[in-house]
Amino acid sequence: MATRKLKRAGVSDDMCEQLKRHQIESCKDLLSLSPVEVMNVAELSSRRASELLQSVSRAVAPPVTTALELWRQHSCFSTSLPALDRLLGGGLSRGTLTEVTGPSGCGKTQMCLMLSVLATLPKSRGGLDSGVIYIDTESAFSAKRLVEIAQSRFPDHFGCRERALQMAGRVHVFRELTCQNVLNRLDRLEEDIISTGAGLIILDSVASVVRKEFDTTLPGNLMHRSNMLSHEASTLKYLAHQFNIPVVLTNQITTHLGGQGSEGGSGFVTAALGNTWSHSVNTRLIVQYVDARQRQILIAKSPVAPFAVLNYTIEKQGICMDGQGALYEGTDPGLQPIRVQTEFNYNQTEPMDRTEQTQQ
Amino acid sequence: MQRSVFSLSLSPSVKRKLVNAGFQFTNDLLHLKPVQLSKEATLSQLEALEVLQAVRKEGGGGDAGASSSLTALDLLQKEQDLRRIVTFSSQLDAALGGGLPVGKTTEICGAPGVGKTQLCLQLAVDVQVPQCFGGIGGQVVYIDTEGSFLLQRVVDIATAAVQHCSLLVEDDEQRVAMTTFTVETILSNTFLVRCHDYVELLAELHLLPDFLSDHPRVRLLVIDSVAFPFRQHFEDLSQRTRLLNGLAQQLIAMATSHNMAVLMTNQMTTRLRGGQSQQVPALGETWGHAPTSRLLLHWAGSRRLAAIFKSPDHTGATVQYQITSEGFRDIDQSEQTHTVQSTASQRDTGH
Repeated sequence: MATRKLKRAGVSDDMCEQLKRHQIESCKDLLSLSPVEVMNVAELSSRRASELLQSVSRAVAPPVTTALELWRQHSCFSTSLPALDRLLGGGLSRGTLTEVTGPSGCGKTQMCLMLSVLATLPKSRGGLDSGVIYIDTESAFSAKRLVEIAQSRFPDHFGCRERALQMAGRVHVFRELTCQNVLNRLDRLEEDIISTGAGLIILDSVASVVRKEFDTTLPGNLMHRSNMLSHEASTLKYLAHQFNIPVVLTNQITTHLGGQGSEGGSGFVTAALGNTWSHSVNTRLIVQYVDARQRQILIAKSPVAPFAVLNYTIEKQGICMDGQGALYEGTDPGLQPIRVQTEFNYNQTEPMDRTEQTQQ
Repeated sequence: MQRSVFSLSLSPSVKRKLVNAGFQFTNDLLHLKPVQLSKEATLSQLEALEVLQAVRKEGGGGDAGASSSLTALDLLQKEQDLRRIVTFSSQLDAALGGGLPVGKTTEICGAPGVGKTQLCLQLAVDVQVPQCFGGIGGQVVYIDTEGSFLLQRVVDIATAAVQHCSLLVEDDEQRVAMTTFTVETILSNTFLVRCHDYVELLAELHLLPDFLSDHPRVRLLVIDSVAFPFRQHFEDLSQRTRLLNGLAQQLIAMATSHNMAVLMTNQMTTRLRGGQSQQVPALGETWGHAPTSRLLLHWAGSRRLAAIFKSPDHTGATVQYQITSEGFRDIDQSEQTHTVQSTASQRDTGH
């Protein structure tokens, strides 16, 4: 919108010519100038210049709505986990980014697959009756598992194989294995959303490609990485808002060394990608291990929900929750310690998990 | 007073014509009439009028100085007339000197998830509390750049605020006020704008003065957050600084002329200083001058603390708060004594 040419923003042809001589062609170029600069390049008096700025602004500025209007068309995407829905005020909010972070094998991808199934369900069953865009950066997507979750979770609905296959046909998977590919995909995603009628975007995971490609010990790389991440975040937020759909992302874990942690000194495991990224997500859910079977989901950042912890297990039908959940004493979602698996260490593949013993 | 015509806020071509026609200083222009000037300097009549208006505006400050300057006494009375927006946390109110000041700009900085948006939402509801309940009965413009304005949460906070006031009703005036203070009216008095990048934000701010003239009851402008759109797409940091300065000026001007509070949020960033990494507000040092007051929300373990670290009229104070299902609140009485001691130690080790 901001790159709209001045011509189409109701600026006269003469003025467009005049501004073009100063390489000012789009609304963005003009609005990035101060009023004094506008006076100079457009050769206008201050009053005329501010009129010009106003008329261009009118073409660019988003509309003002009242909260009441929005409230009337408000709806959430149910996670089909009643306890979690209740805490989140109905489910995942449309138009926002929800992050699921946690150690490997804890159920992040399971959560994504389950949500994909839910999105394709008809509205009468609490779904969105829409397609799903699934961007898979870890090659972790399993179509077989997707169908399995669908059939065991909703045996009555997906009883006949026909329907299950139809469901699978609505989940559009993009396998993007490098940062550049992910970025390119996101830039083109608008077209894909329209053509597939997607009602849910899943990016599993944000962290893997970024962490593979950027060695943060090299100077400059960290800044480059956070620039790229905030570009990703703003693209996704834009799409989420424009299409009024939820976006789900997954993230990995990292070892936070010493410093501000209340334990002091020793490191602990927490969400990866740093502080700036933590600002970017609207809701952060943390999944962690309790024991070999039991896992927990923590609501670590949410504009709606209090800090809460819910127990779940991973079954054939996806994520199953028991109990109503309890509140816990939360802390900075960027520093929230995450419990990793301690009993089956040989299962662990990532080297970072060696430091997990520091957890109580 | 000799003043060059070049210093006037006019377009360069007009200035050139003026100089060519022999007008060097503003004094030369003072007693001219527009038609005469347009003939002499080969300007259009409209341009000539603008020149003369510009001259008069510049010159006016010196002649009529007595009427435009204010004594501190006037200002004192004016400031007392300005009401403050209460936060529903009495400790934070006390630290702020009675609440969020109307006519000033305030910034909230803080770590992710610490409660910046919560405080914004709380104040967006609080500004609408009717006057007979100690509120200011205003409206709010909420510019959301992060997509974190969640209606569900606003409804929760609004419901709690309405309930709180309904328990306080004592006289008829308050009973009447309650009929128009409902969740529905709170939502309809909240004007929401969703900006996706800094260009949209800048454009919105250009239009806001007109919007405010049409909606004179707006007493609060929230920008949540300034940081998000300005922390991306900038290769050239000096351009960013320049734009932020312009934005700050616009906000201060709007706060003063429309008599409203401006509240913005900022993120935190990591800075390396002597091998030590430190959390500091984002957007750089210069931006720090922009808001009149700055409030820092931060974590101390699982406690949330609010510290005032820039304020023209209040010394720094740190208070503990909590986010409940009802909104932004004081912590429970029982914990309070414990807090006072721990805040003291917190400030020593502070940021």
